[in-house]
Amino acid sequence: MVYLLSIKRFGYNQQKSSLTYPLETVTTDLVIIGGGGAGLRAAIAAAESDRSLPITLLSKVYPMRSHTVAAEGGAAAVTQEHDSLDYHFDDTVAGGDWLCEQGVVEYFVNHAHRELVQMEHWGCPWSRRENGRVNVRSFGGMKIDRTWFAADKTGFHMLHTLFQTSIRYPSIHRLDEHFCCDLVVEDDRVQGAVTIEIASGQFVFIQARAAIIATGGAGRVFRQNTNGGIVTGDGMALAYRHGVPLRDMEFMQFHPTCMPSTGLLFTEACRGEGGFLLNKDGYRYLQDYGLGPAEPSPRNKAMELGPRDRLSQAFWHEYQKGNTIEGLHGAYVQLDLRHIGKKKLLERLPQIYEMAVDYQNVDPAESPIPVLPAVHYTMGGIEAGRKTASRLPGLYSVGECSSIGIHGANRLGSNSLTELCVFGKVAGEEAAAFAKSAPLGAAGTLRKLAKEIQQRTESIVSNNGGTERTADLRSEMLKSMEEGCGIYRTGDGMQVTCDKLAELRDRYKRVKVEDTGSAWNTERLLVLELGYQLEVAEAVVHSAIKRKESRGSHQRLDGFEERDDENFLKHSLAFYNGDDAPRIDYSDVSITKSKPDVRAYGAAGEKAEQKNERSDNG
Amino acid sequence: MAEVEKTIEIAVLRYRPEKDTKPVSQTFEVPFTDDMSVLQGVQYIKDYLDGSLSFRWSCRMAICGSCGMMLNGEPKLACSTFLREYYPGTLQIEALKHFPIEKDLVIDASDFIDKLGSITPYIVPAEPRSVEQGEYLQTPAQKAQYDQFSACINCMLCYAACPQYGLSTNFTGPGILALLHRYNADSRDGARETRMEIVNSEEGVWGCTLVGYCSEVCPKEVDPAKAVNLNKVNSTMDYFLRFFASGKGAGK
Amino acid sequence: MSARDPYVRPMTSWWLKNPFYVRYMIREATSVFVVLYAFVLLGGLASLVKGETAYNAWLASLANPLAIFFHLMATAAALYHTVTWFRVSPKVTPLLFVGGYRVPDGLITGVQYVIAAVLYLIIFTVAWT
Repeated sequence: MVYLLSIKRFGYNQQKSSLTYPLETVTTDLVIIGGGGAGLRAAIAAAESDRSLPITLLSKVYPMRSHTVAAEGGAAAVTQEHDSLDYHFDDTVAGGDWLCEQGVVEYFVNHAHRELVQMEHWGCPWSRRENGRVNVRSFGGMKIDRTWFAADKTGFHMLHTLFQTSIRYPSIHRLDEHFCCDLVVEDDRVQGAVTIEIASGQFVFIQARAAIIATGGAGRVFRQNTNGGIVTGDGMALAYRHGVPLRDMEFMQFHPTCMPSTGLLFTEACRGEGGFLLNKDGYRYLQDYGLGPAEPSPRNKAMELGPRDRLSQAFWHEYQKGNTIEGLHGAYVQLDLRHIGKKKLLERLPQIYEMAVDYQNVDPAESPIPVLPAVHYTMGGIEAGRKTASRLPGLYSVGECSSIGIHGANRLGSNSLTELCVFGKVAGEEAAAFAKSAPLGAAGTLRKLAKEIQQRTESIVSNNGGTERTADLRSEMLKSMEEGCGIYRTGDGMQVTCDKLAELRDRYKRVKVEDTGSAWNTERLLVLELGYQLEVAEAVVHSAIKRKESRGSHQRLDGFEERDDENFLKHSLAFYNGDDAPRIDYSDVSITKSKPDVRAYGAAGEKAEQKNERSDNG
Repeated sequence: MAEVEKTIEIAVLRYRPEKDTKPVSQTFEVPFTDDMSVLQGVQYIKDYLDGSLSFRWSCRMAICGSCGMMLNGEPKLACSTFLREYYPGTLQIEALKHFPIEKDLVIDASDFIDKLGSITPYIVPAEPRSVEQGEYLQTPAQKAQYDQFSACINCMLCYAACPQYGLSTNFTGPGILALLHRYNADSRDGARETRMEIVNSEEGVWGCTLVGYCSEVCPKEVDPAKAVNLNKVNSTMDYFLRFFASGKGAGK
Repeated sequence: MSARDPYVRPMTSWWLKNPFYVRYMIREATSVFVVLYAFVLLGGLASLVKGETAYNAWLASLANPLAIFFHLMATAAALYHTVTWFRVSPKVTPLLFVGGYRVPDGLITGVQYVIAAVLYLIIFTVAWT
């Protein structure tokens, strides 16, 4: 009843369908799929660009449950006098091992500060200096301190600020707890989406003139990961199935400091605040991997403040040397925060403190925290240009699901929270403009397509006589991805994973669904999510096996240990190919200001920077 | 999931709206290790014992606020509570109290969400400032006035703890009143008067009888009871200020 | 026609189901004794106005075992109420900071115990001398 009323209130057309064929229709101008940071920021931007534009914001959970909530460390923007946009640009491009779209990075660093100030105006409780100005902290791979933070709950505060601010705009009509099954594509453009209202199991067709996908990453295709259960790559799979390529999917970020077993995240800010990484002998082993010298306090872009790919790779080497500690859940190293002191830990890293105590029974002020690398972030995603548009007219993407090109082969910590602000705004404005210029499609034709989608979906999720258990398929996928597509990869290992995924996709056709009810049937949703995960996982491993070089987070051990700019200074593009493996193609990388160079950190990095500055001056 | 050692009995209060007329308890035997959370136990049931069991969850680290449940009668987050705490006894799990049950452990949160939207839950600037002018200044001391109240993860445990909300859902309730106070106490905000109308109303702070259990169960130390009862003081002062103001007006 | 059919659980005898609620209900119930004791005092005041005989009769009535039992109960109730009130009183105290540190709730409660103890001491000393 509330649902019907709210639709009336916002001026939507409501066509109650017959009982025999339940499919409700909602007509809107812009549909946004995903209610996390990026989706909310886009919704607000679209609403501000035209207050009369009807916007429908779909989310499979209540927006404040979205995984933006778990981001801890902060958001980067050039803030201090002695910092510069060029520094942020250079850090990002070199951090991404030159696989970044440089024009896009330039736009990003230029608009970063403005967007974080905007967040401040909306109430985000950024941590402050004594004089009332916003404070910044150090972060891995960043030359100058430029990471804005709200203690160690930055994503939580940004998400709640955006969600609560979005309530100001009556033109944003939310459909919370609606699961998206497919996009409706007609006349070679996106014209809506089909969703399931989770509470009732009712299918709803949302007719729209433009769509933004903002569904987050796909970290849940790996076993040990820092991601929430909802991070299953839904939006990536939706776009992929409609012919939009997934770009640079082989680049999965392993975060070096996560909790053994659960993979829960200990923010990079732990190291930004001065934390050390120790091996079993209490030795700061990063100095052996070109990140030294080891100094008592953190120096930017050195040691513990090196980039994430390098740190996770160093863990792997320590493991090979037998320098890690064997625990119940595999090998680990130690994150030592003791010297920071309890008072500062409670002020700057309260959540980390609480997690270590509650989950691991470790008091970080007294003893080091056991940590290991786990999958954290999907650098690749739906191919998108600087204006967030995909190659399919009317389809935009933003946030972790999108590959807009600022992360390249390795994302720098604290760039993604800023990304969702900067490009969320762009996506909202661009998609709103497209929606206003696009004609409203023929309702009858679109509804017919939507009904077909409904039937197809129902046939997948009502297979009570199936033989395959969802949990088995899922755990085999996770294990295979971890074994074949981890921190270090080989062609043979990846081939095994490719074969395994093909097998799993075939077995998926016989998946069993026990729950026959309609109301809150989460088993159905898990099955649909698994379908998305399997396809996205395939895109990851097939992109990876074809990239015969080592770059950023993609490292090979089988004769391709070096970066190969001649052949692989290219984006990989995975195209959906029905039941078969994806077709892999390549596109050029835009290089404007920064030619590919050696990625150097620690003392070597400083030397290289001095040399570059001299040659710039000369 | 290494080395399965023990088995715990978990009794889940099930309710399947298309089958059951009222909730019924169903017991499962769940193998567990000492580091397994209650959430992992419930996930085990869904994956291997009964796929039809429904519950909400996501982040696994007590920040998304999805997995609030009654564990042996106490509202808790399933992801940060451990099975070992209930072994060797039986763990009884039930959907959050005081909310209608949609299915099994899933409650209808729409009342909470509607209330959240009704309290002007955003900054209405006390003085306008353009983005180009940079951030508003706010000292750490000013920030400390609202900091703890901004830590609410909307998990609704406090609503499940509040008998006044259980007796009448007209009461705005602890979490939302804490959020309201978060904005009233923010030095950048200028909409206190609008929100005080809610505070002063029948549905506002006076619906609270200071049971105080909300603050006990809060997993983020928001202390909603404090926010509510501080606003009883504010509401009283408001009343007298208005009283004197109108008295003066009448005297003229 | 929807598959939804939310179930609302009844609130019958809710206050017996959680020790926290039981303690709360006892706290609320202590007010009954406070009211009754107020009537007893009021009776004393009335008898004082009536004259010495009436006042002496009132005093004598207090020596009745039932009256003594009531006073013991009332004292226990008042003490219980005091303890619970001290415990919740930080909830109505504005956020206090000293030197950048938040004054903890426990300290606010503690200070009240100290004040109460001092007051009792003064009253007893005055009554004794």
